[in-house]
Amino acid sequence: MSKRFAELVVAGLAILIGFSVALAARVGEPAPDFTATDTNGKVHKLSEYRGKFVVLEWTNRDCPYTQKQYNSRNMQRLQREWTGKGVIWLTIISSAPGKQGYVTASEENAYLKEINAAPTAVLLDPTGAVGQLYDAKTTPHMFIINSQGTLIYNGAIDDRPTTDLADVNGAKNYVSVSLQEATSGKPVSNPTTRPYGCSVKYPN
Amino acid sequence: MALQGHIRIVLFSALCAMLVSAKRANGQLPVESHAKVELMAEENTMPAGKSLWIGILFHLDEGWHIYWQNAGDSGEPPKVQWELPPGFAVGTIRWPQPLRLGSGSIVDYGYQGEVLLMAPMDGPTRSRVISIPSICAVVKYIVCREICVPGKAQLTLSFPQASETSQRRALFGRARAQLPKSVPASWRTSAESDKDHFILFVRTNSQVHSAAFLPVKPGEVENSAAQGFVSTGRGFRLTLQKSTQLTKSISVLRGLVVLGPGRAFEVAVPVVAR
Repeated sequence: MSKRFAELVVAGLAILIGFSVALAARVGEPAPDFTATDTNGKVHKLSEYRGKFVVLEWTNRDCPYTQKQYNSRNMQRLQREWTGKGVIWLTIISSAPGKQGYVTASEENAYLKEINAAPTAVLLDPTGAVGQLYDAKTTPHMFIINSQGTLIYNGAIDDRPTTDLADVNGAKNYVSVSLQEATSGKPVSNPTTRPYGCSVKYPN
Repeated sequence: MALQGHIRIVLFSALCAMLVSAKRANGQLPVESHAKVELMAEENTMPAGKSLWIGILFHLDEGWHIYWQNAGDSGEPPKVQWELPPGFAVGTIRWPQPLRLGSGSIVDYGYQGEVLLMAPMDGPTRSRVISIPSICAVVKYIVCREICVPGKAQLTLSFPQASETSQRRALFGRARAQLPKSVPASWRTSAESDKDHFILFVRTNSQVHSAAFLPVKPGEVENSAAQGFVSTGRGFRLTLQKSTQLTKSISVLRGLVVLGPGRAFEVAVPVVAR
């Protein structure tokens, strides 16, 4: 037990430090419940939407991957289409104060009007608590919860991991496909995909 | 075969068609650049019957990074679209050993400072003198620090001037030294899989004090999870948490075993269910 053992322990610790394990929301399991306040001061509790499908969309308006979806109007179109069919669409901002994408409620409301966005609500998560609960990695990162409160999709917005607007057309939109499948009683064909985008700007 | 010595390359000054036809992605705002990108050849002659190494050199602003072939949790690797004269072909990019970037729940793999992404180029094998109309490439990449900025570079291959040859060779030599190496013949590797983990066993026949595994494919290993390292005297084992994105079992675990800077080894280990 020796110096050598001590070295091993130190090496092991060195690897452990700086890593942290987030327990992600897993497809097929109950979606973790949370409470968050929207840009109009209204409090939303996920479990209160039991009986409806819920989409969670992580966003950061200054991220080029998010801009690809909004500048092409694709995200707004999806929000209109699915909220029109009774789906609850919650856009979530987990950028910490001082970091890219952090906004106040009034800034966000003005922006929503400017870009003509149509989510059910935009939730402000400056502590990153909701983001960490779902292990949201990127903007965008999309989750779908079914009417029983089970997570049925966790992953990318689509299958073209680029910032090119031109890639929106012709991409397979996983959110659309999953919602179409699930709302017509079919299993989701690609329930887990790799999200792509900018990292979520959590507090340090 | 009469092909010996070097084939002389004659460069045309023709513009790359893609340079002429390339348009800015519509609707995207011009953005600040945090990377200077060049396309260069290691030599100004093409060894007969051998590849000429060419490379995309990124000079990144301080603190900014681009991504490895597996970007990790965010970002994306640079993508190259070649435009080559008939008879020419460029092989796959040889990715140097990346850095582990980020902290907390989001971990990426990439490069900072200066990085050369090398690839072998082959030309027509019959003639001794090759006239090369310009070799061109469009490189799309995303460069990030705290924030991310997409970039696009339209490049024409440059050959070293006589005064630059030793400097150029040194640059490629440094990049070559950073390439992952084949696993030494004396090593033995194996891997087991349980519900939530891969356990990678590496017998090196020497004492190893620390090691890390970098997955070459996204979505197999949880990038931000602690890797349980245990020295076994004749080697080590690493316990790797499976990615939540992994929905099917995999038969081979591919990646780099990293023992230190310049000491990355490419492994492809069959996975046995525990």
